[in-house]
Amino acid sequence: MAVTFAPFTVAGLADMARQNRIDTAHMFMAAGNGHFGSCYSCADIVTVLYFALMRLDPANPDWPDRDRFLFSKGHAAPTLYSALIRRGFFPEAWIAEYETHVGSRLMTHPSRRYQPGVDASLGALGHGLSIGLGMALAARLDRRDYVTYVLMGDGEINEGSVWEAAMAAAKFGLGNLVGIVDCNGLSVDGRTADVMPMEPLVDKWRSFGWDVQRIDGHDLDALLSALAPRRADALTRPRMIIADTIKGKGVRFMENVRSWHSDAITPAQFAAALAELAGTP
Amino acid sequence: MTIADARARLTDKAIRLQYGETLIALADERRDFVVLTADLMHATGMEGFGAAFPDRIINLGIAEQNMAGVAAGLALCGRLPIVCGYAAFTALRAVEQAKLDLAYNGVKAILTGQSGGLSYGVGGPTHQSFEDVAIMRAIAGMIVLVPSDAAEVDACLRAALAHDAAAPIYIRLGRGPEWAVPAAPARFVIGQANRPRDGDDLTIVANGAMVVEAVLAADALRDRGIAARVLNMHTVKPLDTRALIAAARDTPAMIVVEEHSVIGGLGSAVLEALSELPHGPIRRIGIADIMPPIGPTRELRAHLGLSADNIVVQALALSGRA
Repeated sequence: MAVTFAPFTVAGLADMARQNRIDTAHMFMAAGNGHFGSCYSCADIVTVLYFALMRLDPANPDWPDRDRFLFSKGHAAPTLYSALIRRGFFPEAWIAEYETHVGSRLMTHPSRRYQPGVDASLGALGHGLSIGLGMALAARLDRRDYVTYVLMGDGEINEGSVWEAAMAAAKFGLGNLVGIVDCNGLSVDGRTADVMPMEPLVDKWRSFGWDVQRIDGHDLDALLSALAPRRADALTRPRMIIADTIKGKGVRFMENVRSWHSDAITPAQFAAALAELAGTP
Repeated sequence: MTIADARARLTDKAIRLQYGETLIALADERRDFVVLTADLMHATGMEGFGAAFPDRIINLGIAEQNMAGVAAGLALCGRLPIVCGYAAFTALRAVEQAKLDLAYNGVKAILTGQSGGLSYGVGGPTHQSFEDVAIMRAIAGMIVLVPSDAAEVDACLRAALAHDAAAPIYIRLGRGPEWAVPAAPARFVIGQANRPRDGDDLTIVANGAMVVEAVLAADALRDRGIAARVLNMHTVKPLDTRALIAAARDTPAMIVVEEHSVIGGLGSAVLEALSELPHGPIRRIGIADIMPPIGPTRELRAHLGLSADNIVVQALALSGRA
C-alpha cells in the first residue's frame, strides 16, 4: 500500500520544487509559450502536497482511499504534470509533447481523460471547489478518511460558484476539505486588487464559516504545517489556506510581471530562466 | 368520437407525484444513488423521499452551479447523483458544469428538470423552459430523455438508473397532472422510439406531453380515413434514426410536435437526421422564437397550437385536404 513520499527533507522538497519549475519551462519551450507566472507561484504548494503530504499510489491512480487534489486554477497544469511525472504517474518523455500536436496527452489544462493521477478535468475557473465538496461528501458517505485539497487562484475566486461552494462546505461541516488560494496578486488584466478587489480574504472566508490560515506560500515549513492532512480529528469546519505568493517566483525577470501570466518565451529567455533555476546564473 | 370526447375519457396523474414515488420505490434496490436539490425538495415531490431517506438527500440551497459540481465530485467517487430541480434552472443555470464537470469528466449523473416546457405555464418565461432540450442536446455525450405521462416517467427513471454508461443523462419532466397516453406500450428502452399508433399515411413524431396530443390526433385522423403512425421519441439523444428512416420511407409526410422552441429541439433533431435522406414534407409544431405568454398549462399549450386539434389541422393540410 502506498504511503507518502518518505525520503524528502525540506531541502529535498526545495530541490523538487526547483525541478518542477525546470520541467514547466521545458513544457512551455516545447509549446512556445505558457502560464509561467501562474505555475511558478504555486510550484512550492504543489510540491509539498505531492512529495510530503498526500496519500497516493502512482501504480493505482484510482485507489479509492487516495487523497484528492483538484487543480482548479487549471491553466497552471504543467506544475501538476511535473509533480505527477516525478511521482511516477506518467513518463518524463511526455514533457516534450506538451501542446505540440493533435492528440498531445499534455495540454494547457489538466484532463483525467488523458493523464493518470488527475482527479478531475478542470480549467474553466470556479469549478474545483464544488467538485471537491462532492468528493468530501462522498468520503463521509463511504466512511473513508481521505482528504480533498482544492487549489484556486486569487483571480479565480471572483467566480460566484466558489462562494456557493464556500457556503455549502461550511453547512456540511466538511473538515476533510482543504482549500488553498494561491494569492499571487495578478490576474490576466492586471493586479487582482484593481481587476476585482477581494480583500480582506481571511475575514471573507472566516465569515463563510471556514477555519482560515494565512501563510507565506513559498515557505516550505509553513506549507508543511498548514497543509498537513488531519484525518482522525472530528473536524467540523472546512479549512482554507490563504497562501501569499509571488507570481513567477524563481525567475527574477518574471516575478510580479503581469505579462508573464501567459507569454511567449524566446530561446535566450529560456536559457536564462534555466540557468537561474539551476543556480548557475 | 371527437377529440374533446376522447380527451374527457383520459385519466391523469401529477408528474412530480410520480417522480417522488418512483425514487422511493427504487431507493432500496439502488443503494448507490443520492438526491441533490437546490431548495426544491418540496416543490419537486420529494418530501416523502426526504422523510424516508434523510441521509440520501443533500440540500445545497439555491445554488445550482455548485449543485452540479457537487454531483460530479460524488460521481467521481462512485456515487450516482440524481439532481432534482426545475428544468429552467437545472439545464440553464449550470450549463458549463453540465458540459465540463459531468460530460467532460465522463461521469454518470442524472439531471432531472421538472416544470419543463409550459408545465408551469403561469410562472411565465422565468420558470417555463423551452430551450433546455436544445442546450442539453448540444453537450457532447449528454443523453437527453423526454418521457410523456406518469407511467413513462416511472419507466424512464428506472431505465436511466439502470443505464450502464459513463455519461450524464438529462431527463426533461412536466410538473402537474399529465394525461395518460391511452393504449401505449409500457416499455422504455433508451434510444428506441415507441410506436403507440401504426399507419402509413403520415407520421407524427412527438415526445413529452405532446405524445398524448399526437395519439388523440391520430385517432381522430383515422376516423377521417388517414392512418397516422405515432412515434414517441422519448429519447432525443441518441436519436432513434432507424425509426425515423423507416417512417420517412413508409409515410409520405411527417409532423414533429414538441413542447419546446422550434430551434434546436426534437424537430431540429429529426431534420438533422433526415436532411441527407429522401423524405417527404416535414412540418414542425413547437414554440416559435418568442417568450411565451403566461397562462394555465393546458390552455396555454392549446393557445400556442400544441394540441391534437392543431396537429389534425396540419395533417389535413399536408394531405391536401385542408
